[in-house]
Amino acid sequence: MKCPSRPPSYLVPGLSLIVLLALAAASLFVGRVYVSPVDLIAGLASSHSTLAALVVTELRLPRAVLAILVGASLGLSGAVLQGLLRNPLAEPGLLGVSNGAAVGAVISIYFGLAHAFPLATPLLALAGSMIAGALTFAFGRTSTLSLILAGAAVSSLMASFLAMALNFAPSPYAAYEMSTWMLGSLSERSWDHIMLAAPFIAIGMLILAMMGQAIDALALGETQALSLGIHLNRTRILVLLGVGLAVGAATSVTGSIGFIGLVAPHLVRPFVGHQPSRTLLPSTFLGAAVLLLADLGTRVIPTNTELKLGMLTSLLGAPFFFWLIVRMQKTAP
Amino acid sequence: MRFALRLSAIGLACTALLGSPRAGAASSTPAAKPQHIMSINMCADLLLLQLVPKSRIASVSYLAHDGAAELFPGADTGVPINRGTAEDVLKEKPDLILAGQASTPITTALAKRVGAQVVQVQESNNFRDIRDFIKQIGEAVGEQARAAVLVRHIDMTLGELAANPPRRLSRVVAWTGGSSVPGRESLTNAIIEAAGAVNIAALPGRRYTTFGVEDLLQADPDALLFEGVSSGTPSLRSDEGQHRLVRKIYGARRISYNQAAYGCGLPQSADAARDLRRALDALPERRRKR
Repeated sequence: MKCPSRPPSYLVPGLSLIVLLALAAASLFVGRVYVSPVDLIAGLASSHSTLAALVVTELRLPRAVLAILVGASLGLSGAVLQGLLRNPLAEPGLLGVSNGAAVGAVISIYFGLAHAFPLATPLLALAGSMIAGALTFAFGRTSTLSLILAGAAVSSLMASFLAMALNFAPSPYAAYEMSTWMLGSLSERSWDHIMLAAPFIAIGMLILAMMGQAIDALALGETQALSLGIHLNRTRILVLLGVGLAVGAATSVTGSIGFIGLVAPHLVRPFVGHQPSRTLLPSTFLGAAVLLLADLGTRVIPTNTELKLGMLTSLLGAPFFFWLIVRMQKTAP
Repeated sequence: MRFALRLSAIGLACTALLGSPRAGAASSTPAAKPQHIMSINMCADLLLLQLVPKSRIASVSYLAHDGAAELFPGADTGVPINRGTAEDVLKEKPDLILAGQASTPITTALAKRVGAQVVQVQESNNFRDIRDFIKQIGEAVGEQARAAVLVRHIDMTLGELAANPPRRLSRVVAWTGGSSVPGRESLTNAIIEAAGAVNIAALPGRRYTTFGVEDLLQADPDALLFEGVSSGTPSLRSDEGQHRLVRKIYGARRISYNQAAYGCGLPQSADAARDLRRALDALPERRRKR
């Protein structure tokens, strides 16, 4: 019997990259203010402070770069977690790290630490995600199922801390600001935000990118992975560290953005097969592409009040969840 | 800021388990001056502190302090605070309650049980609203003469501004981050117009609008008005307003404003217009690059 042919290993990552680059280019030309494409291209190379140059170099380019960084970190984290936990519903939020990061960032905002020390928000977000990850690991290190359950518990705990921050907000206005921030957004972000988050995101993604071999072995089961020389606890710690760094830093500058980590691996899996390591690179590119697309949506959908990115990704992600359930029911033996 | 005040009112009202806006309203024309007045609305708090002596105030809302500290420091010292809860009403047994638009039948019912009247105050979005607001509260607390003095202060200040045109027509926007910028139907817009300037975010029919950095660059205002952080409370929006491009272009053309006077319709709102005029006139002439 002839096996169905699988596309060459470079094809899906290559196509994902092309989609990503196309969306990144499009995001430079779309905004609240119309600037002609010719002026924008000229602005990219211009050293003068023209409207086009400022819009493209100081607003749309950093926004696109940040969307790529955040989307890529979410996509990669989702792919690694789905491989590690052998669970198609795994995503950074499942381990509590997203909510942990949000708690850290909200504490920084709440107490005004960011005003005193610019790195306070990303550092506290990182600390929050690390603490959440450590708690998850401490209670769930014995098995994958325990890890998922511990993640759900920690996620709920962090969500309750967020609710507490809202509850004790100094005024309804502060509560409104916090809840709005948690909806996630890329607007009004600048190179300063990228400088803050990029180093942590890069280190986190680097750690996650090295997990391919381990999650491939884990796909065979924990016992088989152990027999293949995979150190399970070390793998879990490294994944938590990587996800904590990447997603914690991303959350600290954009707020909570859900579903990207869940959706991206599923979008690529039909094309790359079920070998977890083959999903990593395309999920990274596609995560970035999906976030860029959602961000473009916030700009082109005409609304008086800014459409929040996290709200849009959740709105798009929920139907995807339903599709996933239906698909799982159909493919279940 | 207007948003803040609306939210404040809603927040207080929710804590008090409130519901329908109109049902609780009851006009109050007391024969004798109320002696134990409770305010659960921030704007009413700030006006009340200017109308009656502290001895007649049962409590003001917990939101009053920041505004009082900005407008008349120390005026609220020693005045008890409330959180607008039903228990607060029962505990204080006021003879008059000044409530926001979100007052409900529960407040009214409680007010009746403690023998209090409820006066529901409306939001002020222009100077006519402010005059009505001051007169309404002045009448409710039995201080019509004092209220008339405050209204005359507004009329006089606005009259002076109208009689003396600004050095130049300035295009401004109240911008502390672009997610919620006061538009045409806002009190901020009324203050800007009274100062003789133009609010570039004054789009037809919109009280608040999104006005991002791109909009800002395109509109190229002469100055940005931003909410100060005089209360010391950090704000996400003030952080958002620190975008490096905004700092670079408008660093020297930002005018801080008093949040309480722009958010609540008060006599000080007229002073805010006068102060804005002065600040705009003091800005150096601008050479437009683009």
